[in-house]
Amino acid sequence: MLMHEAGADTKEDSMPERRVFIRVTNLEASYHGKPAVRGISFDVGEGEQLSLLGPSGCGKTTTLRCIAGLEKPTAGEIAIDGRIVYSAEHNIDVPSERRMLSMVFQSYAIWPHMTVFENVAYGLRVRRTHAEAVRARVTEVLRMVGMESYIDQPATNLSGGQQQRVALARSYASLPKALLLDEPLSNLDARLRVHMRQELKRLQRESRITNLYVTHDQEEAMALSDRIIVMRDGLIEQVGRPLEIYDTPRSRFVADFIGAANILAGHALEHRPSGATLSVGGARLACAPREDMPIPDADGNYLAAVRTVYPELRRERGDGADNWWPGTVRERILLGDIVNYVLEWPGGTLRVHGFPHTLFCEGESVWVHIPAGRAILIDADGD
Amino acid sequence: MLFRSLARPTRREPISLPSLVLLGVLLLVIGYPLLLLAGMAFNVGDAQALVPTQLGFANFVRLLRHLEWVRNTLLVSAAGSVIGTALAVVLAWILYRTSVPGRALLELLVTIPYPIGPLVGALAWSELASPRGGLINSLFHALTGSHASLVNVYSVPGIVFVMALFETPVAFLMIGAAMRRMDPTLEECSAVMGAGRLATALRVTVPLMAPAILSAWLFLFISMMGAFAIPTILGANSRFYVATTAIYMLFEGYPPQYPLAAAVGLVLIVFAAAAVWFYTRALRGKSYAVVGGRTYKPRLIDMGRWTPVLLAVVYAYILVALVLPLGTLVIASLQRNSNLTFSAASWTLHNYRYVLFEFPTTRQAVVNSLLLGVGTGTAGTALAFILAWVIHRSRGSGRFALEQLAMLPQSLPRLIFAAALLWMILALPLKLYGTLFAVLIAYIIVFLPLAYRSITGVVVQLDRSLEEAGRVLGGSWLAVMRTITLPLLSPGLLAAWVLLFMISVREVSASIFLAGPGAQVLGPAIFNFWDSGGLPQVSALVVVQTIIIFAALIVIRAVSKKGVAL
Ligand SMILES: Nc1ncnc2c1ncn2[C@@H]1O[C@H](COP(=O)(O)OP(=O)(O)OP(=O)(O)O)[C@@H](O)[C@H]1O
Ligand SMILES: [Mg+2]
Repeated sequence: MLMHEAGADTKEDSMPERRVFIRVTNLEASYHGKPAVRGISFDVGEGEQLSLLGPSGCGKTTTLRCIAGLEKPTAGEIAIDGRIVYSAEHNIDVPSERRMLSMVFQSYAIWPHMTVFENVAYGLRVRRTHAEAVRARVTEVLRMVGMESYIDQPATNLSGGQQQRVALARSYASLPKALLLDEPLSNLDARLRVHMRQELKRLQRESRITNLYVTHDQEEAMALSDRIIVMRDGLIEQVGRPLEIYDTPRSRFVADFIGAANILAGHALEHRPSGATLSVGGARLACAPREDMPIPDADGNYLAAVRTVYPELRRERGDGADNWWPGTVRERILLGDIVNYVLEWPGGTLRVHGFPHTLFCEGESVWVHIPAGRAILIDADGD
Repeated sequence: MLFRSLARPTRREPISLPSLVLLGVLLLVIGYPLLLLAGMAFNVGDAQALVPTQLGFANFVRLLRHLEWVRNTLLVSAAGSVIGTALAVVLAWILYRTSVPGRALLELLVTIPYPIGPLVGALAWSELASPRGGLINSLFHALTGSHASLVNVYSVPGIVFVMALFETPVAFLMIGAAMRRMDPTLEECSAVMGAGRLATALRVTVPLMAPAILSAWLFLFISMMGAFAIPTILGANSRFYVATTAIYMLFEGYPPQYPLAAAVGLVLIVFAAAAVWFYTRALRGKSYAVVGGRTYKPRLIDMGRWTPVLLAVVYAYILVALVLPLGTLVIASLQRNSNLTFSAASWTLHNYRYVLFEFPTTRQAVVNSLLLGVGTGTAGTALAFILAWVIHRSRGSGRFALEQLAMLPQSLPRLIFAAALLWMILALPLKLYGTLFAVLIAYIIVFLPLAYRSITGVVVQLDRSLEEAGRVLGGSWLAVMRTITLPLLSPGLLAAWVLLFMISVREVSASIFLAGPGAQVLGPAIFNFWDSGGLPQVSALVVVQTIIIFAALIVIRAVSKKGVAL
């Protein structure tokens, strides 16, 4: 498995230089000798919204819990705000309560024996804040999440969405250095989830607190993050800004996991810094340039990912010599906002997203164009 | 209410026949003795009559001169139950929430004092820490040459200490079960929020455990109010009487003073009821389900350099509640006479030969107790199973009342209820008094709450659809019961059986009035033996009893790896 650093291709966008706030170096963790995190390194900038994204069991929660001090790593180093809180080498392990963090749990972990006020005030009270200041701050954060009218309710009277808000308010209340969130929206129903996602976004903007967000939902990660770390099997697969990961996945795993993509396989006809050309079935597919040649699949073929939203469908052939082919519409599925087509083209079959403003019929002959910049050479998943 | 696994019924449905029959039986064996007790307490006529010949308050007026009985009872039960519960909280927290090494074995060792029982504890500790001749004091004299005594278990603190020691395991099991079911993120969240381990334990863990802790306390409190062996054996020298020892004296005196005994009993039952009321009130509004059905595998807290301290606490408990008592009794049982000496000439196996073969009373007691254990295990499990089945798997009203009635003996101080049962046995026209059968009935009734509790846990967990699948496939009710239900339940039923076996073998309070010449039973036999002196032989008998209990414990461990839910 390869590890990719985002470094090289982030400069094109105007990302502000951030001070490193959490630095994780070569982190490893295991349960009863079975590795769950197998050596990962990444930085979270101050005020940054970073997501850990990956399928179930890939080690996201474990990573987050190691940072929170709830799980003891087996190797590596974690530094928060310039201070080493865990180091296997130097035998440092600062307990949770002195890492000055805050966490939102998947189960919310609202204490049922306390009122909403007591829940939210907890972090302030254990840090011995003055009673009046506590009251003021609790009221403020409850207002932020729209729960101020529940302040004296017992916490057991709340619905799932309300508990979620209280959990958020509680984690903001003590002004932590960073906020760790473990799938905070996954217990909500679909509609409420979308709503809370927007709320979270707003809270992030207002508070500007550093966020490390764990999710297996790519939409959440896309919507809420400055950067995304895609994890797989305890390793980092790719790091980048949401659009970067979407547009230029490094591997078949990332291309499949995020968005919908056609994976086209063919042998390489040429490979130059200006781009490579694959022969996919009967089609010559010009691809976007990539510095190194990607890892081929077991048959020696190279893979290119083409997002289903990027091919163009026309009734007439357009301009340009490259990547235009005649094709036939095999299947059309009208979904409302979008239209799914399955095409037959010289390269085999191709799935394409279209829009209702131009509809093609099943059986109709069309021209299909894949912009060379949208055919991305990716690593095959070897393991 | 001590126990409620059913919601209060909302709609009236007709009462089913099985419920009606069970209600009738339970009313007879639980309600009727209580009625007799109440009648007796107000009987100012013929003191030997079971049914009052004349009603009045004279007995309570007489009781005013002996208020110290009630006061002493409340004192030792309150102190003992608070200490025992606190100890249980500490032990449960250490063994279930922190990562001390060797937890599985320690957990087992901590629970063993319960089946071994208070009688053994009292005998052993009187041997260890009596002011004159106690092992600890002798050692102290030998080491320092001083003639002051270091410890004196024949005192109120001594009684409280030994009571707390031997009741702690029950509370430990009750609180431990709740701790293991708690959602661990509730604690983790507190840590991330900046609370240290102690603050988390005090602000989150303990309050969340409050319902379980309170119910363990109540159980201990009532159980100590009815405790007999410890206050009798440790309080006799200093003429320190609690209600149970007073009742025993009033029974054994000539002529027996039943009415005054009943009055004492009734007053204690009122206090027990007050404790239940207090408990119910304190729990109001705390019925949150922190401890849902899901079982979590909580991350254990690494206490770092505190670990040795925590381990020391657990070891200390095991030392004083298990190792020292059993060790002392084993040594005493191998001695020629009551003064423990360690010279070669004083060792002997004769005591075992004596109690097992030569002395008919104890030989009979061993055999009878084994029979009773098997009988109580079988009949008690069967009755509890039928009750649990009718209450949880049938329709019709009356089930709520049935459950409350079945759990009622748990809220009654044991020895007092045993006295009431004696009167019932005498009042029934069956001539049961003096037979083993009478003791069996008493055991089944007294242990019914325990059996019902442990079997209900199993029945409720069994998914109805497993049986329904069998019915749909054409099995008759009986066939389904035989091929599906019972096999699935059998580990739980067996565990309940072994539990009943153990506690009947070691019981004293429930049988002290019913055992006699025709029906020798181990617990009372040991007690009477102690009463008439002869420590080496008593110790041998106790060791025999303990070996039987250990054998049962091994079976129970083999059957259910997780131990039994009490
Ligand atoms: N308490 C535990 N004991 C043993 N193994 C565990 C424990 N927690 C996690 N694991 C294992 O470690 C691996 C990583 O788990 P982790 O919870 O970090 O995954 P995740 O990415 O958060 O997955 P999900 O999206 O399902 O929450 C998994 O293989 C999991 O089975
Ligand atoms: Mg997870």
